Amino acid sequence: MEEEKGLTEIKLKVRSVKRERERKYRDYPAVVDNSTAAHDFWEPIVHLGLWDIKGHQIVKGPWGGGRVEQAKKRPPREFMVIDRASFAFYSHSYGLVSPFFQGLLEGKLMGTKCPKCGTVYCPPRAHCWNPECKVADCFDNWVDLPPAGVIHTFTVQCLAAAPFEHMLPFSMGWVQIDGADTTLPMLLHIRPKEIFIGKKVNIEFMPKESRKGDLMDLYAVAAVSDEKPPEWACLQKDTKEMESVENSTKATLEFIKNRYGIDNSPEARGW
Amino acid sequence: MPKANRRVAICGGGIFRPDLWHGENAEEGVATAYQDLLRQCPNLEADDIDAVMMSYFSDHLNQQLCMGWIIQDYLGLHNKPGYRVESGGSTPLDALINAYYMIQSGFFDVILIPGWEWMCEVDVASTNEMIASAADTDWDFPVGGYYNAYYAALEVRHMQLYGETPEDLGKIAVKNHNNSTHIPFSQWVSQRGTAPITLDDYWNSRTVCWPYRVLNNAVMSEGACCILMAAEEKVNRFTDTPMWITGVGLGTDSMRPGDRTVDFVYAGFKDEAKIYPDFVKIPKTPYPDMANFASLHVAAKRAYAQAGITNPLKEIDLMEFFAPYDGVELCLYEDLGLCGRGEGKYMIREGIVDYGGECPVQLSGGLTATGHPVGATTLYYTTFLYWQLAGKVKEMCGPDGLQVPNAKRALITGHGGTGCQGGVIIFERD
Repeated sequence: MEEEKGLTEIKLKVRSVKRERERKYRDYPAVVDNSTAAHDFWEPIVHLGLWDIKGHQIVKGPWGGGRVEQAKKRPPREFMVIDRASFAFYSHSYGLVSPFFQGLLEGKLMGTKCPKCGTVYCPPRAHCWNPECKVADCFDNWVDLPPAGVIHTFTVQCLAAAPFEHMLPFSMGWVQIDGADTTLPMLLHIRPKEIFIGKKVNIEFMPKESRKGDLMDLYAVAAVSDEKPPEWACLQKDTKEMESVENSTKATLEFIKNRYGIDNSPEARGW
Repeated sequence: MPKANRRVAICGGGIFRPDLWHGENAEEGVATAYQDLLRQCPNLEADDIDAVMMSYFSDHLNQQLCMGWIIQDYLGLHNKPGYRVESGGSTPLDALINAYYMIQSGFFDVILIPGWEWMCEVDVASTNEMIASAADTDWDFPVGGYYNAYYAALEVRHMQLYGETPEDLGKIAVKNHNNSTHIPFSQWVSQRGTAPITLDDYWNSRTVCWPYRVLNNAVMSEGACCILMAAEEKVNRFTDTPMWITGVGLGTDSMRPGDRTVDFVYAGFKDEAKIYPDFVKIPKTPYPDMANFASLHVAAKRAYAQAGITNPLKEIDLMEFFAPYDGVELCLYEDLGLCGRGEGKYMIREGIVDYGGECPVQLSGGLTATGHPVGATTLYYTTFLYWQLAGKVKEMCGPDGLQVPNAKRALITGHGGTGCQGGVIIFERD
């Protein structure tokens, strides 16, 4: 609620006359427009003067070249450190592979198939990268793919970049969709103690209303529930590693709860 | 094989040490490194410099486009031809190779290569976000957006195929951090001092993205380095101990690591692939898969061919890898041909890559300990190799410096994205 209030205040500071939205595609029909509201919300923030100095600190720190010990021996200097922000609102075309992302919105998985060499790409390529095919067009050769595949590789993340931090901890990996030759990155809604390379998974989609049109619209779940990893599985065969992952996961859950007030424990979010 | 017209050498390097934060801004840091270079090469005058080849990776970490112009003007070199190179983590190595090409071509005799990166103006999570935007932002970035995770997944695949263990990764981490304690310019020394670490410290450090623990990952840094490169006709003016460039190689691979199951351009590399364990399905193209680094493999082949190297392990005295994660170091033992595919684990287990071993790797401490301000990174480690080949390690680092006795030939790598771009340079002394 606090954050929402902050954003409202920002909106109020923006010039009250609403600008007309730029029309880059004015000569082309927008068959679907789900972005006007987003532009209305975000563009004023972009135009707010993010470069203005928001604050500053005076920091007393080491300076100068040479070795660490030489730098630490010099009397420190004061440095003025300013705060400013940067932001842009991008309207990016998915290009000729747009049908893949439109498919995601419908809960469908598709790939492209090279008409020359027959390679099935998922992620789709609009043009084949097999040098023998000389960048052959694949964009009119879509194939429907089943919501099922095999884990090609994976990791358990206890740290992430800023936009994903609030979702931690999670597992992610690359899944070879049945019938495709390449592998697709996605979140794995599978507990670390059950993940292994070669594991069969099903692909599920987020509820229709929360799909946005990127790979976060889907995730993998175990095809076989309560499947025991084989004895060669590299994560589980070493109990010390499982312990380390569990400890780190626990610490991460606590960090997220403190920082974002979000409970990402398996009990709360169901995976 | 390329026709080399004349010999080209590194004549020295000046350092503004890497650290988590510097009060100085980038141009002041580069100027400090340049001052250091001028001390190493007292004959160097601005008039000697024919061109400036600038190495920096990011525009958005500092909200500044064309920072190269600031740097050139700050050093008073703004009447020179100037050129910026950018290829992710491979940026500084590419800058070196591009400068080498330019001098080889005969257009320029002497090139200054300043490299820098100021990575800590935004918070760490945002730095990671900005770095990860070097991944495919339509396909890879939206899922976690974090290079540690991509590299962890690559290492998990390699580990499952070839059987190295987290302990092997731990031994690499311990080796590199302890090497770093011998470098008085090291970020690890600045932040944590010179006490050695043990495997227990490794086991106690937190898992970031399994199998990587904190100590397996590159640090965030700010810092700068300036390298001087010259043609043989000019070398003697600057140094008595030139480090000759005798082989260079560049390579690239797919942007998305997940596409390497049909890596057609490497389809002919079937013999490079170890036989897969029977429980893992073999992809259409078995090399590099999401495990090894084909870009570095071809780069090394090209560099070895130029330098006339057939057995790198025997013929090269020491190596510095661009290894932001310890699994990269392990894979590169294989991709650079120091051992067979899948045998990287034996290199660390048998001490071959330790100080005193047959081919020490990361005597500098490397990116996970000594520092990783991207644009300066390979320039630092080139400077350290220069000290090694010139026999100056103890002079520059003090009596505890890890000098390889009589080192004659060294190798350095560059590495960008998830192995999307790589490069190798071979250095030799007279």
